[in-house]
Amino acid sequence: MPCRPWFPVTLRSSLTWLLVLLFTHGLAQGTVTDDLGRDVTLDVPATRVVSMIPTHTEKVCAIGACDRLVGVDMFSNYPTEVQALPSLGSAFEADVEALVALDPDLVLTDEYSGLHDVLEPLGIAVYVGTPQTVVEVWEVTRDVATLLGLQGEAEALIRDAIARVDALSERVAMGASPSVFVELDPSPYSVGPQSYLGELLTLAGGANVVAAELGAFPLVDPEYIVAQDPDVLLLLDAPFGESADTVRARPGWRALSAVAEGAIIEFTQPQVDLLNRAGPRLPEALELLIDVLEEYRR
Amino acid sequence: MRTGSLAALGVVLLAALAVGSVAVAPGDVLGAILRGLQGQVEQASDVIVWQVRAPRVLLAAVTGAALALAGSAYQAVFRNPLADPYLLGAASGAGFGAAVTIVYGASVTWLATLGVPTVAFVTALVTVSLAVLMARVGGTLPTVSLILAGVVLGSSLSAGTSFVMLADQERTAGVLAWLLGSFAFANWRDVLVLVTILVLAIPAGLAARRAFDLMLVGEASAKQLGLPVERFKWLVVVIATLLTAAAVSVAGVIGFVGLVVPHAVRLAVGPEHRELIPLSILWGAAFLVLADLAARTVLAPAELPVGVVTSLVGGPFFLILLRRSRMRA
Repeated sequence: MPCRPWFPVTLRSSLTWLLVLLFTHGLAQGTVTDDLGRDVTLDVPATRVVSMIPTHTEKVCAIGACDRLVGVDMFSNYPTEVQALPSLGSAFEADVEALVALDPDLVLTDEYSGLHDVLEPLGIAVYVGTPQTVVEVWEVTRDVATLLGLQGEAEALIRDAIARVDALSERVAMGASPSVFVELDPSPYSVGPQSYLGELLTLAGGANVVAAELGAFPLVDPEYIVAQDPDVLLLLDAPFGESADTVRARPGWRALSAVAEGAIIEFTQPQVDLLNRAGPRLPEALELLIDVLEEYRR
Repeated sequence: MRTGSLAALGVVLLAALAVGSVAVAPGDVLGAILRGLQGQVEQASDVIVWQVRAPRVLLAAVTGAALALAGSAYQAVFRNPLADPYLLGAASGAGFGAAVTIVYGASVTWLATLGVPTVAFVTALVTVSLAVLMARVGGTLPTVSLILAGVVLGSSLSAGTSFVMLADQERTAGVLAWLLGSFAFANWRDVLVLVTILVLAIPAGLAARRAFDLMLVGEASAKQLGLPVERFKWLVVVIATLLTAAAVSVAGVIGFVGLVVPHAVRLAVGPEHRELIPLSILWGAAFLVLADLAARTVLAPAELPVGVVTSLVGGPFFLILLRRSRMRA
């Protein structure tokens, strides 16, 4: 995770830190460090949890604690049972009064939402952090599980997920990688290999035409895409009206082999959610990508 | 100056056609243009140069010309150095329409069918019309009321745009990219739309050069000198609004061109519109082509929003120009 506290490494301070760590861990049920480098400590496992981003909602449910959720944000829609919970707006425009009225003992949110500044003075523990990579999915899952006292469940979930990912990668071990352009929106924004979706694409045996130097979410020059001539186009903006037809109508894109071959994948909104959310459904997301790329793996 | 500027624009256009994130040999660039003019596309580089790059370069040129022309007209008619083509709310109106279409297009089919450019064009026209209706007193358009109505409507609509943007965070980057302007998917149809409006507006602007000069001395004096001031203002607002709405609807809200290019010309050749109008058109076109060239090559093959380039590069450049002219004076 990006934010870690910096510890001065002298012998004396190391010993002090060791003592501090032992002491706090001995006392508290669970202490974790979140994405802003803040220590979040709960003396007893959280039982009334509010999740303000969909990936946290999915994590809490995946480790078997769906029944501890008392409220979620407006975008949380999976698993379906969370749709019955009180909706508290979005992480960035939260209905703070309604949230506080639910009397949560733990709020899970995004590091940029600023909610911790509002809620912690009210005595509500807040964990902030959004996984941006595959490894961070597991790290954040462990953190959330620690705060819920469900470390064993989390380890089982992660073991199982990694085993599924390993099994799935055997499917892509053979055959040449098709080159792929991932379109997040028609600007066109795309994903670099170091982003979560970029990592999934690599695991799924796709060769991203966007190079790592361009960053995790670059705005890409269309003529570069035309020159790269990817084998497959993945339209994550299909729920917003982009399609094989609109792509074909773009200047010069008719010449792309993906257009000529009809290798344009229009994802549905639930599929886009699955792919965008770095969470416990990672193996399913990977399987979806492997499935759609299957016929283009020569 | 005019001939020189026209030649410079030609050089800028050729340079922008020759350079891009994909390297194409100069011979292939020329070949692509020659074949493209005959409606032929033979090799891969023809697609890049003629189908992707050429409409993009030309759209930047006509957009720059349209914004600079509208800006110089408004600065004269409103006798306000801060006037720009977006003064009466065209940009905020277009931005709101675009944001609503981008965010709600998925659930509201007719919005998606119309598409961002059409919706943005209509909302821009509606916004300016509302400002005019608010400010109108009988057949006259009091300048101060008109500017106030435009600015206030613009602020309200900008707030609406922010609200819509935050309503769906997955689309926020898309809306922002549109608001900052882009020629990424420019096509020949967009170019044609703007050329059609320019074909009407440029002769009108050139013909009105003397009237713009008269407006500079004040509305009362202009009237005494025989200019039908109210009718002239209506005409300018209608034409400039059409230009701006068309430019914004195909390119997004590109700031700075319409404000600063006329001033740069003024610093170079003085305030008389005989030179100011044609040079603004030419310099506006060249400036925006260069800005888009920078936007697509500085981080190639990643892009910068062109509106960011116009402000980042144009601002300091203008300040230097301003400083120099002040020191000369």
